[in-house]
Amino acid sequence: MSTTAQNPAGTRIDADDADVSRVLGGDIAAFEGIVRRWQGPLLNMAWRYCRDRGRAEELAQEALVRAWRGLSSWRRESSFSTWLFALAANVYRNDLKRFPAVNLPIEDIAEPSRAADQQSRIEEKSRNEVVRRAVLALPRRYREPVVLFYFHEKDVAAAAQTMGLAEGTVKARLSRARELLRRRFPQLEKEHLDMAVASTEKGGLE
Amino acid sequence: MTNERIDAILGTEEELVPSSGFLAAVMERVREEAAAPPPIPFPWKRAVPGFVVAAGVMGWGAVEFVRFIGPAMATVKLSQPHMSAALARPLEQAGWVAAALAVSLVSYLVSRRFAG
Repeated sequence: MSTTAQNPAGTRIDADDADVSRVLGGDIAAFEGIVRRWQGPLLNMAWRYCRDRGRAEELAQEALVRAWRGLSSWRRESSFSTWLFALAANVYRNDLKRFPAVNLPIEDIAEPSRAADQQSRIEEKSRNEVVRRAVLALPRRYREPVVLFYFHEKDVAAAAQTMGLAEGTVKARLSRARELLRRRFPQLEKEHLDMAVASTEKGGLE
Repeated sequence: MTNERIDAILGTEEELVPSSGFLAAVMERVREEAAAPPPIPFPWKRAVPGFVVAAGVMGWGAVEFVRFIGPAMATVKLSQPHMSAALARPLEQAGWVAAALAVSLVSYLVSRRFAG
């Protein structure tokens, strides 16, 4: 996720900074560069919040339009990405407060059953998707730290910055969220261990 | 399920690619907003006299309320449980209003707590 470009002279130019300056100077077309660079990350972030492709596109679009409206409020004290992700998280959070992606509490999410052909990739993907969707059923205070922690590739500091919370708070909420998930899906761990043992035995026989 | 298993599941997601019309749709909305006339500012100059009058009326009402309730409270004695109906009614209503506000506050706090 690079936000910088290299000019022929070798001086690093912050592409976002340059585009924001141009947009604020009245060049609306310069916003296209910002959209090109950030549409992917914002879409994937929205997807993790709702797991609905159409809704994720709408949310990402709304976040980018809000960013355009509020470009002058980026004070350049933090990086553009930090500002943009915090703004997008705010948009997504508020929208999901009004229309939750999942209405079930986590206790009501069914644990994936152990299929006969459990080694098949389709089954594995399906089970993983159930766990990912279960994240959306976590209480709100635990859900967002999980979503943002994994979106930021397990970077607690980045997740905390996006939420505007202290790192300690995010760590504590992550820990609680994992505990809730562990309790909800005890069977998955058993399967995981069984598969590990089976593959070890298979390796030993060969 | 261990943390490693959770990390393995939640840390591996297939990357979504924006649809082909995404960029165009965003830029269209941005251009529409840029072309729209600026929002009409709130008419503070016209509204301020109204706010002043409203504040004055509320202040006057508060003063009158205190003037009415103050002497009424002074005449109320614990040993005289039977107040006149005219005196008891406003106090009773104020009590109900206070109770309703307290119940609203408690229900708001409880619902927020449940909502996480």
